[in-house]
Amino acid sequence: MKGIGEGKEGKEIFSFTGTSIFIPIIFITGLIFISSCTSKYEFTMGQDFLDSQTRLQVIDTFSVDLSTVLLDSLKTSATKVAYAGSCEDNVFGSVKCGAYFDLAYSDFPEIEEKAIFDSADFMLMYKGTSYGDTTSLMTLNLHMLTERIEPYSSYLYNTSSFDFSPEVTGSVSFYPGPNSSDSAVYLPVNALGEELFNKIRNKDEDVSSSEMFNDYLKGFLLESGPVDNKAIIGFIADADNLKLIIYYHIDNEEPELKKISITMGEQNHQFNNVMYDPHNSPLSNIKLEGNEIPSTQTDNQGYMQGLVGLLPKLRFPTVDEILAIRRWKILKADLIIEPVKGSYDVFSLPEKLYIYDTDKENRLNSVLLDDQGNSLTAPLVYDDLYEEEATYTYDITKFINSEFSDSYFDYEHGLVIGLSQDDFTSKLDRLLIECKNPRIKLVIYFLTY
Amino acid sequence: MHRLVKTSVLLLSLLVLRPGIIFAQSTSSPYSIFGIGFLEGSSVGPSKGMGGTGIAFLSEMSVNPMNPASYSGLDSLLTIFEVGIFGKYSSFSTVHDNQTDANANLKYVLMGFRINPWLATSFGFSPYSSIGYNINATAPIEGTAHEYLETFSGSGGVNQIYIGASANIIKNLSIGVNAAYLFGNITRNESSAAFEYTYKDVTYVSNFDFNYGLNYQINIKKWKYNLGLIYSRSKDLRTKNTTTIKTATGTETLKEYTYKYSIPETFGAGIAVTKGFFKAGIDFERSDWKNIEFSNIYFQTRNSNRYSFGTEFPLPGDRKGTVKMIFLRFGGDYRQSYLVINNIPINCGTLTLGTGLPLKGTLNGINIALELGKIGTTKSGLIREDYIGLHLDMSLRALWFEKRKYN
Repeated sequence: MKGIGEGKEGKEIFSFTGTSIFIPIIFITGLIFISSCTSKYEFTMGQDFLDSQTRLQVIDTFSVDLSTVLLDSLKTSATKVAYAGSCEDNVFGSVKCGAYFDLAYSDFPEIEEKAIFDSADFMLMYKGTSYGDTTSLMTLNLHMLTERIEPYSSYLYNTSSFDFSPEVTGSVSFYPGPNSSDSAVYLPVNALGEELFNKIRNKDEDVSSSEMFNDYLKGFLLESGPVDNKAIIGFIADADNLKLIIYYHIDNEEPELKKISITMGEQNHQFNNVMYDPHNSPLSNIKLEGNEIPSTQTDNQGYMQGLVGLLPKLRFPTVDEILAIRRWKILKADLIIEPVKGSYDVFSLPEKLYIYDTDKENRLNSVLLDDQGNSLTAPLVYDDLYEEEATYTYDITKFINSEFSDSYFDYEHGLVIGLSQDDFTSKLDRLLIECKNPRIKLVIYFLTY
Repeated sequence: MHRLVKTSVLLLSLLVLRPGIIFAQSTSSPYSIFGIGFLEGSSVGPSKGMGGTGIAFLSEMSVNPMNPASYSGLDSLLTIFEVGIFGKYSSFSTVHDNQTDANANLKYVLMGFRINPWLATSFGFSPYSSIGYNINATAPIEGTAHEYLETFSGSGGVNQIYIGASANIIKNLSIGVNAAYLFGNITRNESSAAFEYTYKDVTYVSNFDFNYGLNYQINIKKWKYNLGLIYSRSKDLRTKNTTTIKTATGTETLKEYTYKYSIPETFGAGIAVTKGFFKAGIDFERSDWKNIEFSNIYFQTRNSNRYSFGTEFPLPGDRKGTVKMIFLRFGGDYRQSYLVINNIPINCGTLTLGTGLPLKGTLNGINIALELGKIGTTKSGLIREDYIGLHLDMSLRALWFEKRKYN
């Protein structure tokens, strides 16, 4: 389409061509581009003109009710760690651990006539986890079980136990300390080894099938020896690392050394029995069942220990004071916990803590989650260069906000400080906290407007 | 249908339907915190090169919405489509500090044409005021010795879409009216990235507004003298306010309360002289902001005054008198704004230098104006903005009523 106008002298003074249509379009497009590039500048000038409608306030004086809960039982089977030893402690009470396991049947090799038994021992590989003073000499005894290990509904607990013979099948004394370069402890069981050697050589009925074998060797308990030990040591409990090894040789001119390895049995037959005795500690009044003791009876302190099942429980009796404020939004809620000073000189602190919500019945209902849906954790942070002040900080904003969502804060809806579920059933890590001066703080940042 | 009209309709409907896309105003001035923001003024095109002077200028090769009576100057054959953008680079100073910022925005889109020998019209879209600031301030965390960073930001502004008409009542006297619909929002946010909240206060404003104009021309020998008068009444804007608080747990609408937003009575007068292609003019405009109250403790209002002058003349040479003629423009203004902060009145001054360039082979033209300006003062802890700005105005001219006898 062409539009032609007539000038004064009849000349064409304007022709509207296609190209000129695009000019405004290019112009506008360019403009949108320019506008989008415009920086929203970060400005500090003009502060004096601002009429703020909001106030950010902090309250960190909410009181915290602390108590310690002792769980009835903890599943300790199939954790791939076997704990043995004992540790006396007048803060947490005494703990004695015994590891139960059995052996796996396999088709044993033909043993030559000229074979001569040499020795036998259990190989116990260090797991790297321990509790207590690992620099002292330790003695561990091995007992044979007189009943087979039968899991109750496929689990075994720290309270589970099976009958064992009082006779010591084998015993070993060793220094487990960090200075030891050994990766394993060998517990000699020569008498048992020779008996087994002969049964294998004679193709005895007892070693003819899995069923017969496990009736003959029902299982073992590895536990603290008669003297009081000062530590509990963790050994790797799996088929590769926990085994009975029988050494023998063929009596030729050139002796030929041979061995038979009998590995640990089913994972869910392996568990740790924990005997907890709080009588020499501030927790002596805790009932072994039922099982909550307020910190007012324990020098204002709260106790956490894995495997034993001690958990500090927190409740917030005064947090609902915030409901008295007219218009508010909680923006952030930090729970800050400082371990009791001096409580972690010997026993190192957990690298991070988890937190669970609980109720009047002290059930661990669920682990608190962070914004990403992962378990909420509080990492161990040391305040200064000398690592003298340790703190753990949880961001429990979500928990607090959801508690307040119905404009009511349920006092019985408490929080429990713990390890991850895996660590809590496989580590003896401990933590001592207290609610004075105040070493547990709930810090709530809220906006009023 | 004419392609230009199609294009214009397309652009205008885009603006009306999604004004946010293009009129995402970022004035970027801390002074836009106050009231309804930074007042944009209504000069367009060539006037931008003449210090914003235009009350007495008739619309000729560009539409001049400053005075609705000016449309009667439109050529009977031309349809004019006008679009303008403005970009500026600003330096903000206090006694202690200096910060800079750059931004660019679309300022207006409008059209004008003559309907019949005695009636001409114009319609378009332009900002009335705009708000744009983003200020980081430290605020105390009450109950601790700490502070945190709170960000105050403002956006929005009042836009106007208008339709105007101008009629020649008697020889040399024309009158006009713009019926404008004012609409927009004034949005203020207080937020913190660290604490994840946004307190947002949005006031939607709207109302109709009428501007009246008059232009009278006296011819003495080869000189033309024009007198322009403009007037608009004070008006309360209809407001709807929503205040919300947004946190990680959600957004809550708080109890609503209303700001009062009004626009003041405005009177303006201008005188222009024209001889051939030479043109000069002066303006005076006054708005009675003193009677307008804002619920803000940080400032008072006073009546605003605008004084401006400007001149336009063709570049001498062969092109003079042809469609290829190039214009040069010069002007300046002095504005006593409606803001008085800490008892210090906020004044603005600009100097402008402009040119009007034809586009080769068409009737289209580009108007470019450079603007040097100063707003405010560093006295009493206030902020002075020194800026250099560039107005770009695209003036598309096409024949509305085609003569088809040569086709």
